[in-house]
Amino acid sequence: MGGKRKKSDGDEAEEAESSMKKSRIKEKKEQLLPSMIKNKEKRSEVHAKLKRQKKLDKRAKAKARDAAVKRALDLGEEPPEKKVPRTIENTREFDETVCRPDDEELFAGNDADEFSSILNQQQTPKILITTCRFNSTRGPAFISELVSVIPNAHYFKRGTYDLKKIVEYAKNKDFTSVIVVHTNRREPDALLIIGVPSGPTAHFKLSKLVLRKDIKNHGTPTSHKPELVLNNFTTRLGHRVGRLIQSLFPQDPEHKGRRVVTFHNQRDFIFFRHHRYIFESKEVKKVESKGKKDKDGKSENVPEHKTVARLQECGPRFTLKLITLQHGTFDTKGGEYEWVHKPEMDTSRRRFFL
Amino acid sequence: MPRTTTLECSGCPPLRALTFDALGLIKVVEARDVQRGVPQVVERWGDPESAKCVTAVSMIDRSSHPLLAVARKNNRIDVLSPINGDVQATISDAHDLNIISEENNIVGLHLFAKQNLELASRDCTLLSCTTKGNASIRSVEFADSSTGSSCIDSPKTWNVCSGGNILCSKVDGNENFALFGGKGVEINIWDLKNFTKIWNSKSPPKDSLGIFTPTWFTSATFLMKDDHRKFVAGTNSHQVRLYDISAQRRPVLSFDFRETSIKALAEDIDGYSIYVGNGSGDMASFDIRTGKMLGCFSGKCSGSIRSIVRHPDLPVVASSGLDSYLRLWDIKTRQLLSAVFLKQPVMHVLFDSNFIVNGPCKEQTQPEIMVSEEVEVSPLKRKKTSRNKEHMIDGSERKKRSKQSKDRKNSEENDGHENIASRDKKSKSASKKKNKSPIPGL
Repeated sequence: MGGKRKKSDGDEAEEAESSMKKSRIKEKKEQLLPSMIKNKEKRSEVHAKLKRQKKLDKRAKAKARDAAVKRALDLGEEPPEKKVPRTIENTREFDETVCRPDDEELFAGNDADEFSSILNQQQTPKILITTCRFNSTRGPAFISELVSVIPNAHYFKRGTYDLKKIVEYAKNKDFTSVIVVHTNRREPDALLIIGVPSGPTAHFKLSKLVLRKDIKNHGTPTSHKPELVLNNFTTRLGHRVGRLIQSLFPQDPEHKGRRVVTFHNQRDFIFFRHHRYIFESKEVKKVESKGKKDKDGKSENVPEHKTVARLQECGPRFTLKLITLQHGTFDTKGGEYEWVHKPEMDTSRRRFFL
Repeated sequence: MPRTTTLECSGCPPLRALTFDALGLIKVVEARDVQRGVPQVVERWGDPESAKCVTAVSMIDRSSHPLLAVARKNNRIDVLSPINGDVQATISDAHDLNIISEENNIVGLHLFAKQNLELASRDCTLLSCTTKGNASIRSVEFADSSTGSSCIDSPKTWNVCSGGNILCSKVDGNENFALFGGKGVEINIWDLKNFTKIWNSKSPPKDSLGIFTPTWFTSATFLMKDDHRKFVAGTNSHQVRLYDISAQRRPVLSFDFRETSIKALAEDIDGYSIYVGNGSGDMASFDIRTGKMLGCFSGKCSGSIRSIVRHPDLPVVASSGLDSYLRLWDIKTRQLLSAVFLKQPVMHVLFDSNFIVNGPCKEQTQPEIMVSEEVEVSPLKRKKTSRNKEHMIDGSERKKRSKQSKDRKNSEENDGHENIASRDKKSKSASKKKNKSPIPGL
């Protein structure tokens, strides 16, 4: 509509026209959404305008907020409270299976489960890594990195053996877990972790794999035993998966090596990262100017040199998602599942299982 | 719109259930409200210990002197009172030679109720069966004080199978016959009076590709209380089979259910519908006369179902399993009534049918509310009965329809080609007719 009128009207009327249009758009904004306009050109125009307005508003808001903080600091008042954004994680649905630290049954269950002998350091973990039948390019590269990440891991060629036979072999040779890397179209896409004498079998979907050589400024890890960080495994199921992962690594890390392996759970996705850290002493000159403002008392106490932790990523980077957790060792036919993901469980975005 | 998962758990009628978990704990779950009660764990008996993992349970469910027997992983049998959890007797399997092997757990346990009537709570008789097939019947006398040792009469033992592992054992309603079956063991039926094997099943023939599925029974149940001739068995190859002793040694009817092994079976009191639970947490009810699925119980059940129990009086089914939830379902609507989180993988669940709600009356003496509730309850009950009638009518109609359709099918087959499948069908239908005959009513 607007475009048509613009063409028919003369140049001299354009200014008035534009102001008219603005007011009209404002009316429109209140009345109708851009998605209700049928003309695509018009729709995109209105939408762009709306978006720009939103951006400006946002910027103004941030500016006002910063100014408020600054003013409060200058006056020596408490800065206004920081708002916490609402995410689907902190609005997570109530889950009764979340572990509580005062739950004695949980600890009794922990003592009784399959991993307790490893986690109490009565047994050192010994890992067998193998692949699916067909394996090429990224698969072997990933495995060689996995071997360097997990201490006491041994790679065995799959050959044509059945997985059940391999599990049996691992049992006889005193392995504590078996990891199977499944490759599809020359790209690793699934990870199977089997606890060996009797432990559970976890089937993960593996995605977003980045190998070491593709990471910028990557480091090469040493052969020290790494430290392990397990984040956010809250529910009973998460706790169990966390313990399964924990049982892959030795429980006595060598802090001298400064290696950290992280399994971070967020929204049921488990992110794997492998870092090397270093504590460096840094001059506080730059920091001081900011520090003064932050807390006056502190800046005086802080010595001239401050230790800063720096991270360097090394090793692969990938994301896991739990598909099934099976009771006992690998058995697809007669196996019992402790947890299976079923589509009927996906009724809410705010429901998480780990 | 954020979608939420608030299940409309409508609550359940007053009931009491006992659950037995992997750490040997016995938890009592009670729903006390007269209407739409939320079941809660009210009591916990025993200390958590992995060696005490419950492997088999049995209960005499009666109003006076009920008894509960629990077999544990360390081959001990505790006889308890299901009312307060007092241990009345403990039997450790001393007579066994195979104790040393830890594999030889007790998988079947049955407390005999019939003989006990005259002797009241003085003693009890129980049948136990281990994985290796050592069955034994022994009677236990309780000492006067619970601390005193119990006297055990000489147990009558016999061997049920020569090889393989027993996984399921059941005793029929009249307690004269027992069935045993398992991995590599065809189902045997034993006469418990003179300890003779009266029947054993025969594995089904090879399929059209010549593939033989190995014998591996995971669960079994007798179909009717007073009939030992018909029973249902679930196999590891996700098959449910109906056997009829009087008809043939091969299954009369068999059908598949989903993709994982059948782990739990329970019969309904009506004598023809059964409840099937499998290793990936699916549960459904079937009409065993036709092999047709009546419907699934769907409610976010994610772990293997280990045990299904039908409440003797109320229209409620309980299921429990490795996801450590006790779930209570309505039979008619197949909706979830409520789920109780029990913190440990649950091995077994039992109903205590003699639970009468008088707790809340004592606790909250508010007669007005009680009266109003009662008033509300009575129409509901009426409604329920009317619903039942409707269902019955529906069921019979369906049956008729299915019959008609089957007849049509059969006639078609007769006209055209005759192959093995059609013969099978005929035999099945014949057997179905047979099945139908002993069920009066409907």
